[in-house]
Amino acid sequence: MDTLLQILINGISTGAVYGLFALGYTLVFSVLGVINFAHGAVFTLGAYLTYLLVGGAVGSNGLLAGLQLPFALPFWAALPVAGLLTALVSLLVEATAFRPLRRHGAEPLLYLITSLGAGVILVNLLQILLGAEGYAMPTTALGSLPITLSLAGAQLRTVQLVLLVVAAVVLAVLSLWLEGSRGGKALQAVSEDATTARLLGIDSDAMIRLGFAVSGFLAGIAGGLVGLSLSITGPYFGISYGLKALGVLVLGGLGSVPGAVLAGLIVGGAEALVPGEWSGYKDAIAYAFLFAVLLLRPQGLLGRPQISKV
Amino acid sequence: MDATLLVQMLLGALLGLSVYLPLACGQLSLATPGFYAIGGTLAALLSTRVPALSGAAMAGEGGGGGVPIYPLSSLLLEMVLAALLCAVVAEGLGRLVLRLQGIYLTIATIALVEILRVVSLNLEITGGAVGIFAIPQPFAAPTGYALFCLALLVLVGWLCQRLAVTRPGLAMAAIRDDAIAAASSGIAIERWKRLAFVLSAVVAGVSGVVAAHFLNAWNPRLGNFDASITTLAFVVFGGSRTWLGPVVGGLALTALPELLRPVGDLRLIVFGLVILLGPSLFPQGLITPELLTSLASRLPRPLQRRLGMDRGASRNRRTPASDPPLAAPSSPGQAPAEVER
Amino acid sequence: MNPTATPAPSPLLAVEALSRRFGGLVAVDGVSLTVHQGEIFGLLGPNGAGKTTLFNLISGITRPSSGSVHWKGVAITGAPSHRVAALGMARTFQNLRLFSSLSCLDNVRVGLHRHSRQPKLQALLGSRTFQQREENLRRQALDLLDSVGIVELAERSSASLSYGQRRRLEIARALAGRPELLLLDEPAAGMNTTEKGELTELIRSIRREHQLTVLIIEHHVPLMMELCDRLAVLNFGRRIALGTPRQVRHDPAVIEAYLGSASQSVAGAAAADTPGSGPVDQEAGGEGRS
Repeated sequence: MDTLLQILINGISTGAVYGLFALGYTLVFSVLGVINFAHGAVFTLGAYLTYLLVGGAVGSNGLLAGLQLPFALPFWAALPVAGLLTALVSLLVEATAFRPLRRHGAEPLLYLITSLGAGVILVNLLQILLGAEGYAMPTTALGSLPITLSLAGAQLRTVQLVLLVVAAVVLAVLSLWLEGSRGGKALQAVSEDATTARLLGIDSDAMIRLGFAVSGFLAGIAGGLVGLSLSITGPYFGISYGLKALGVLVLGGLGSVPGAVLAGLIVGGAEALVPGEWSGYKDAIAYAFLFAVLLLRPQGLLGRPQISKV
Repeated sequence: MDATLLVQMLLGALLGLSVYLPLACGQLSLATPGFYAIGGTLAALLSTRVPALSGAAMAGEGGGGGVPIYPLSSLLLEMVLAALLCAVVAEGLGRLVLRLQGIYLTIATIALVEILRVVSLNLEITGGAVGIFAIPQPFAAPTGYALFCLALLVLVGWLCQRLAVTRPGLAMAAIRDDAIAAASSGIAIERWKRLAFVLSAVVAGVSGVVAAHFLNAWNPRLGNFDASITTLAFVVFGGSRTWLGPVVGGLALTALPELLRPVGDLRLIVFGLVILLGPSLFPQGLITPELLTSLASRLPRPLQRRLGMDRGASRNRRTPASDPPLAAPSSPGQAPAEVER
Repeated sequence: MNPTATPAPSPLLAVEALSRRFGGLVAVDGVSLTVHQGEIFGLLGPNGAGKTTLFNLISGITRPSSGSVHWKGVAITGAPSHRVAALGMARTFQNLRLFSSLSCLDNVRVGLHRHSRQPKLQALLGSRTFQQREENLRRQALDLLDSVGIVELAERSSASLSYGQRRRLEIARALAGRPELLLLDEPAAGMNTTEKGELTELIRSIRREHQLTVLIIEHHVPLMMELCDRLAVLNFGRRIALGTPRQVRHDPAVIEAYLGSASQSVAGAAAADTPGSGPVDQEAGGEGRS
């Protein structure tokens, strides 16, 4: 019996992370109409930054071998700090990979290429600086919380509950902000129709930067959470998440915020249900969903059919 | 130059062309390494598991010091099979996603590469993460591979050149510039995009077959996401407006890290910088159509004609004033014969 | 809409109760109209009246939410645009959609696409017949550029042209498809008076030379009154009037809803207008307003 609850929590917490991840793609997609392929690398960076901020030490392989910050923040403080730093990096990605092309009015295809470039540079810099080895968060990161909790007779890992709670809070705050605040509404206006929004006096450049910053923040938080629950397997671990989140994104519907969350939960749940002997194929589940949705409902579960503007 | 490096460079040029073909009609496919892996895995499996393919050769050519030479006919057969398999996969994927916005092709090709990687890592027959070893050699020395790859590159390059100067090339350029206007001009855009994607898959698959034999071993890492970045860098560096661009890009960027050994770890960072900054700093890449036209105009006229590059010259000759068949705007009777029906 | 049930020859284009909704907005709302062989049919209406959306629905760029489009009596509702083009319809775009990396000549050669098919093997080998046919196509493209008066720009990049030249190039590209029906979306936008006059002449001469039927969207009322055999007026996605320029001009609904305070300028345009003498005038009167 306890395994069922365990599977459920596993599925929902993995799904929540996919959801956060896919939301980051969605925010940029809705303001610019393109996918930011550097997003997975920003996620990885978030994981490493969280690791360093909670007092983790760099291994022996990278250029920064042995580095350790002189202070150690508790996890609840390290996570938002890491998120803010990744938001800055995301702005840097915007400034190098997106803004110059936007000035030229270049074909959208090129944004995909340049953002892939930004991501590759980021990942390989991490590898050079911090080495290729995996890191696990120090056990002290969660302070005095016990490692496992028992809930309805089942033993649950505390980190998973933390992950679930943080993801839920972030998602709730984000939706409130998108619906309720001036900035959030302006962001939505730009995503509906950039030209009209500009006529209404909304600075679309500023909105694009806002979209990147929020998306980078989300990626950093997601990275920190995954780093806590599963450990960081190397500089490339974000790429695999990032690619899977693309499947989640298409499943939910490009540009749809609730779609991204719903699809995240579906894929996370499906992965948690994979029996042990098939676990090698777990990584392909998101893509199986992707092809199924492309075949049956290309606009995604909650997406709108594309309108072409002439 | 060392023949081993030359083979790698030629394979790089072929992969560059594979990325170029969909790009020529505005589609970004990252599946080139996936199709390369399909070809490589197929060749590795067939040549190591099917004795009939290598058996016949033992009797006739196995003379030289006991190293059996894999028959060329078997290599060609593998190439045909790989081409067919890749074409079928690309056709299916193309039908699924090419009716949608361009971004879906990019995402679906990423997914394809990942699925292939996951499957080949887990299947027993492909040797899992370790891969397949001791793939037989159709050529005794790297020089043989180099000549074979060169022949292949010449063939594919010639095909691209013919495409570029005929109706398909114009249709693809139009689709890349403005798909809606192209469709309104009667171009079946989905069909042409699919053609380009299938050709791209075939070129990558066939290159994979040759690479598997050349490398002597095959493992799933050879078709991973990094390889997508590398091949993309070939095209961005060389330029995607002419087929010579990706060839030059593939040759140069494959040679570069090998020649500059000290960069080692920085290889992917260099490629990353190329594709991050290239599109905004040098949007046309190294080889531009203007460059080629100016180079071609220095060639002898008959050679230009054979290369299909004589258009610019012949157009310039026909200035409107000197060309009698042109109808004056006000004389309706002179409308071109084929326009009246 | 069974084509066999109507004994009379079908109109070239028949649009029946065509609608298109975008979310809550109804861009085109139950519009019906028929275009007959050889006429110049105008679509008038204020910005946002749904004229361009109607063009997109007819030319297959946007799928209609409901209603039907018939071409020579055959239903083509929702057909993709390359198929619509193959049936004999060509269009230009309000916001000019040229192939900016191609020369003017090549822009027109793209327009020749569906007439430029050659045997694949010959094309691959570049045989002599292939070369001759290509030469022939190039000549046709040059002739088309000439017929819109920009042949001297053939080798120039289309991105380097002036606004008026681009409009002409787009028309030449559309003509290259040898259409029976030409859809022009605001061809005079951004032109000065002289250019507008030249354009009117151009459209008339094109109709003569190519035996074309023309469906045209334009804001410029005097130009439309002078050029068109019949007009439909759209407002908020609905067709509010249909008829000859004279009928439309005096239609109270049009004066009320669309022309409003500008009605005086319409009257002015009417004075300059020669009485309609197109072959379709009489039958147009019978159709009237619904």
